[in-house]
Amino acid sequence: MPDTQWPRYEVFKQDAPGQPHRSIGTIHAADPELALLIARDVHVRRPDCASLWVARTDDIFSMTADELAAHPDWAAEDIPGGAVAQTFHVFQKTTQRRGMTFVVHTGDVQARTAREALRLAMQRFPKPEVFVWWVCQAGAVTRSEPEMESSWFAPARNKTYKQQAYYGETGARPEGSGAGDEDDPHPE
Amino acid sequence: MKTIHTLSDLDVALAARLLALADDELILAHRASEWTGHAPILEEDIGLANIAQDELGHAGLWYDLYAALAGSDPDRLVFFRDAGGWRNVQLVELPKGDWAFTMLRQYLFDSYEAALLERLAEGRHEGIAGAAGKIRKEELYHARHSSAWVKRLALGTEESRRRSQDALDLLWPYTRQLFIPHEGDERLAAAGYAPRLADVHDIWTAAVRSHLESSGLRVPDSPGVAVRRDQHTPHLTELLTEMQRVARLDPEAIW
Repeated sequence: MPDTQWPRYEVFKQDAPGQPHRSIGTIHAADPELALLIARDVHVRRPDCASLWVARTDDIFSMTADELAAHPDWAAEDIPGGAVAQTFHVFQKTTQRRGMTFVVHTGDVQARTAREALRLAMQRFPKPEVFVWWVCQAGAVTRSEPEMESSWFAPARNKTYKQQAYYGETGARPEGSGAGDEDDPHPE
Repeated sequence: MKTIHTLSDLDVALAARLLALADDELILAHRASEWTGHAPILEEDIGLANIAQDELGHAGLWYDLYAALAGSDPDRLVFFRDAGGWRNVQLVELPKGDWAFTMLRQYLFDSYEAALLERLAEGRHEGIAGAAGKIRKEELYHARHSSAWVKRLALGTEESRRRSQDALDLLWPYTRQLFIPHEGDERLAAAGYAPRLADVHDIWTAAVRSHLESSGLRVPDSPGVAVRRDQHTPHLTELLTEMQRVARLDPEAIW
């Protein structure tokens, strides 16, 4: 069956200024601007957020530790002669612990292709264990702008999650009122 | 509890304006909420549900200010008032239609709110200015969402363009009611509490004309019908019947 979904985007959230952007989920959208709007609605209506990035999943070159091990020649490629180096964002997932399974923006490298970017990233950002590597051209990322903060992210800080228990029991009646329902379980 | 009769003329005018602000938001919130579970894609289902909740929250701020003045309980106002008592414009009570209709209505209303709230936030009434400043932040986001959709649908396929134009042709005459002054509006303007709606109209018209025309839509010539805010279409009664049904089953129930 043909895939009629809109393109998939990865959503990256920065919790506070100075923190790295982390992948928090995916959405589908028709284009990057709508992707950013949708990412805000779906993923950051309540949690703290200082900045949001979206990038098409197809624009992210991803390799897991297993894939790297299974394909020792993964980096082999012919780079065209005129290729120019560009900025790539590097993301790593370094833990499998529940609640911390983010793919986190670790730094940037200058490279001509995604494979070259990943090769450089592995030298620049070595970690004891990296479960997933992502690299993505910086130009392929759509970002929220600082002036959006007050209308996109700030209102959430004044809103609280209300668990069901907050509302107490619903349907209770004050003493002595509403008698009679016991006789008629289907008042409609 | 204060009654409306003990209020000054200025307070009466203020109460009328606050109720209109609250009712517009509440009814629009309900229409937006009708898409929950029915939007074209899951992401927009969540997005519009969020916007509906925002509008509901904004209505709550206005109802609270109204209640502080006129002494009414917001829940009673919402769940036990018949259509004749509502002061929303007909624009927001029309059935939700298709996605183009919903996005265009939202856009036209969001743009009106953006222009109005900016001026209310600068006003001399502390409570109103505070609420308007708070609401305005979220409305900037709403306007960005609805204007993005209007543009994409209008410049999209032949079908989405036709549906957008049909929606605009139907909605445009209803926008006039947003700018028809209430009795007492001059008092509010003189007190520096609220802007003159004619001024808001000028700002709104320039903004929406430019966006609609750059999206390839033809803005209708129809000047619209001058109806008062206590005049409603049968659609409001239908909406209220649905919205108030559960509350009216057992008026004594505690929520």
